[in-house]
Amino acid sequence: MDIFSNTVALSRMQFALTATFHMLWPVLTTGMSIYLVIVEGLWIKTRRPEYYYHARFWSKLFLLNFGIGVASGLPMEFQFGTNWAPFSEAVGDFFGSILGFEASMAFMLEAGFLGIMLFGWGRVSPLIHYLATVMVAFGANLSTFWILVANSWLQTPAGGEMVNGKFIVSDYFQAILNPFMVKSVAHMFLATLETSLFVIGGISAWYILKQRHQAFFTQSLKIVLATAIAVTPLQIYVGHLSAEQVAQYQPTKLAAMESKWESSPAGQPADWSLLAIPDEANERNKWEITIPNGLGYILEFRKNLTVPVLGLKAWVKTDRPKMVGLIYYCFRIMSGIGFFLAGVMLWSVLQWLLGNLSPEKIESQKWFLRTWILAAPLGYIAVESGWIVRCVGRQPWTLYGQIRTADAASHLPASNVLTSLTFFAVVYSVLLVTTLYFASKIIGKGPNLELPLPGLDGQFVLNTAPAESIPDQRPVEAQQ
Amino acid sequence: MDALLRFLPQVWFIILGLFLFLYVMLDGFDLGVGILSLTSSDEERRSILMTSLGNIWDANETWLVVMAGALFGAFPLAYGTILTALYMPIFIMIFGLIFRAVAFEFREHSTHKFFWNYAFGAGSFIAALGQGFALGSVIEGISVDAAGHFTGSTWDWLDWRSTLVAITLIQGYVLIGSTYLILKTEGELQQTHFRTAKIAAITTFIGAVLITIVTPIFYEAARTRLFSAPLVYVFVAIPILGLLLIGLLLTSLDRQEERTPFVWTILIFLLSFIGLGLIVFPYVIPNQITIYQAAASPSALVFMLTFVGVLIPIMLFYNIYNYIVFRGKVVTSID
Repeated sequence: MDIFSNTVALSRMQFALTATFHMLWPVLTTGMSIYLVIVEGLWIKTRRPEYYYHARFWSKLFLLNFGIGVASGLPMEFQFGTNWAPFSEAVGDFFGSILGFEASMAFMLEAGFLGIMLFGWGRVSPLIHYLATVMVAFGANLSTFWILVANSWLQTPAGGEMVNGKFIVSDYFQAILNPFMVKSVAHMFLATLETSLFVIGGISAWYILKQRHQAFFTQSLKIVLATAIAVTPLQIYVGHLSAEQVAQYQPTKLAAMESKWESSPAGQPADWSLLAIPDEANERNKWEITIPNGLGYILEFRKNLTVPVLGLKAWVKTDRPKMVGLIYYCFRIMSGIGFFLAGVMLWSVLQWLLGNLSPEKIESQKWFLRTWILAAPLGYIAVESGWIVRCVGRQPWTLYGQIRTADAASHLPASNVLTSLTFFAVVYSVLLVTTLYFASKIIGKGPNLELPLPGLDGQFVLNTAPAESIPDQRPVEAQQ
Repeated sequence: MDALLRFLPQVWFIILGLFLFLYVMLDGFDLGVGILSLTSSDEERRSILMTSLGNIWDANETWLVVMAGALFGAFPLAYGTILTALYMPIFIMIFGLIFRAVAFEFREHSTHKFFWNYAFGAGSFIAALGQGFALGSVIEGISVDAAGHFTGSTWDWLDWRSTLVAITLIQGYVLIGSTYLILKTEGELQQTHFRTAKIAAITTFIGAVLITIVTPIFYEAARTRLFSAPLVYVFVAIPILGLLLIGLLLTSLDRQEERTPFVWTILIFLLSFIGLGLIVFPYVIPNQITIYQAAASPSALVFMLTFVGVLIPIMLFYNIYNYIVFRGKVVTSID
C-alpha cells in the first residue's frame, strides 16, 4: 500500500514523530526540577551563595526546555481527538479521565507555580519561593505518574472489559493500578532523573574542562554524582523488573525484543541472542551471536526456563509486532546505555574516593571529564529507545489485546494528515535545532556569579561574599 | 437514577463551560496582547508587552489543556467528532500556539529579536484565528451520522459565517488585551491602549450584533429555541445587558479609568458565554448530539468529578495567588 494514501500509517507516523520530539524537553525538565529542589534546599539551609547561583543558572536551561516542552506537548493531547477519534470514543471513560486528571492535577500545578519559581525572586520570601520550586517539581513528576498510568493501561488494560466496542470500567482503582503501572512509573521517574543528572553532569564537566568556574561546577558534578549513586543501579534493577513483566503480560513484545522466532519449552535452557540481523520475510535471523543457555539466566536467574517462552512464529503475522529489528536494537541500545551510565557512576565514585575530584586535581582528569561530556546525551537516546520498544512492540494493538491500531484511527482524508505531518516534521526539527542553539548560547555565557542575593524577607541584598564582585544595578527583570 | 443520568452531564457541561471561559478570558488577553504587539514599532514597547505575560501565559494556556482533557473524559464522543471535524482549524491553532510559546523562550536569548517578535505576534494571531473558526463552525453545526460520527468534509469549517465569528473573536481578544495593558502599563503606552481598546470595543460590538442577527436567520433550530418561552426572555435580557456593559466600558475608557475597563470587558465576555451556553444547551454538538448522548458512563463522570471537582477551587486559588504576586505595573526590562 502506498504510505502517502494510508491514513492509519500517516496518523501513526504523526503521533510517533510528535511524541519522539516532544519527549526530549519534559524528560529534562522533570528530572531537573528535582535537582533545582535540591540546590535551593541547600541554599536555604546553608545560605551559601553558590547554591543560589546554581538555582539561578540551571533554571535558565530549565525555562528554555520547559517552554518548548509545553509548546510541543499541545498536539499530543489533541491528536487523540483529531486522529484517533474511534479510540477516544471507546476508551474515553478511563483514558480520557486520566488525561483530564493529568492536566488539572499536574500541568496546572506546574504552570501555576512556574512564574513564581522563575520570576518571583525578590517578590516573595525564600520559603514561599522554595514552596513554588517544590510544587513545580511535584507537578512535573505527577504528570509522569498520570501519563504512565494511562500508557500502562494501554499495555495491560484492567478494571473492566470491552462491551460493544466500548471499554466499560467496573473498577477505576483496579484500572489505575493495572499490572504494568507501578514498575512503569518507577522506570520512567528514574529515567527522567538519570537523563537530567547526566546532562547536568556533562555540562559541568565541560566547564571544568574549559577551566571556567571549576570550583562552582565541581560542586554540581558532585551533587549529580551523589544522586546517581542511588539512581543508576536502581534503574537497572527496575528495568529488569519491567522486562519480566513484559515477559509475563506481553509475550509478543518480548519475542520481538529478543528477535525470537522459535518457541522454547519450559524445563529446558534456551539461548539468548546478543546481536542478530532479523529477517522478517523469512521469519528467522540471518545472522546471530548467541549466548548459550543465556535466556533462563536473564529472565529467571536460573538455567532452565520454568515457563515456556514463545517465539514470534507462535502467532499469525497480523497478531504480532512488525519492525522486529527496530524493537530488538532499541532494547539493546537502552539496556546498554543503562549499564554504561552505571559504569560511569562507579568509576566516578572511585575517583572521588581516591581524592581525584578535588578542585586542584579535577582539571587534570581530562578523560574523566570527556567521558561525562560524552554521557550527557545518552540518557535521551535510552529514553527514546525504551519508548520505541514499549509502543512499537505493543503493535498491532493500541489497547493491548482489545483494540487494533487499524481500528483506532479517525477516518480522515490522507492528504489532511500528510499536511499536518509535514508541518510537524519541519517545525519540530527547527525547534530542536533552535533549542540546541540557544542552550549552547546560555551555556557559553555561563553563570552570573554577581547577582544580588535575596534576603530573608525576599528583598534583594548585596552579595557580600566575594569582596571584589560588583553588584548588578539593573532592574530585576533584566537579570533573568 | 434518571435524575442522576441527566444531572451528571449537566454538571460537566457547566464545568467545561467554566474551563472554556477561563481559557478564553485569560489566554484571550495573552493572545490579544500578542496581536497588538504586531502594531508596535519599537523594541522597548514590545519588551514591556511580553514581560507583562512572561509569568502567566503558560498557566493561562494550560486551561485549554485542562478543558480538552475534561472534554475527552466527560464527552468522549464529542471529543472525537468535533476534533476530527475541525482537523484544520485545530492544527492551525496548535501551530499558532507553538510559535507564540517558543517566541517567549527564544527571544530572551536571541540577538535577532525581530524574528521572535514576529513569531510572538503572528503566532498569537494564527492561534486566535484557528480558535475563531473552530468556535464558528461548532455553532454552525457539524454534519454527523446517527452514531454521532463526523460525515462532513475537510473544508466544512470555512465559510463567511465562521469567518465572521473568527474576526469577531480576534476583535474581542484585542479588546481584552488592550484593557489588560491599560492595567499593566503607564504613560504613553497606556494611552495607546486606551485608544486601541475603544476601537476594539466598537468593532467587537458590531461583530457581536451581526452574529446575533445571523444566527437565528440561518439556523432554524436556533430560531425555534430562541423565540419560544422561557429562552425568549433571556434573549431579550442579554442584548440589553450587553448594550449596558458596552456603554459602561466606553465611558470608563473616556474617563481614563485603569481597572474598570478590564472588569467590564470580562463581564462582556461572561455575558456572551452565558448567551452562547444557552443557545447550545443541551447539545454538545449543536442540534445534533446532546450532552446526554455524548456523555461518558455515569461512573466515569463521578470518577472525574471526584478528582477534578475538588481541584477546581485549588487551581483557582494558586492561579489567583500568582496574579497577586505579580500585581502592579510592568517595569521595562531594557536597560
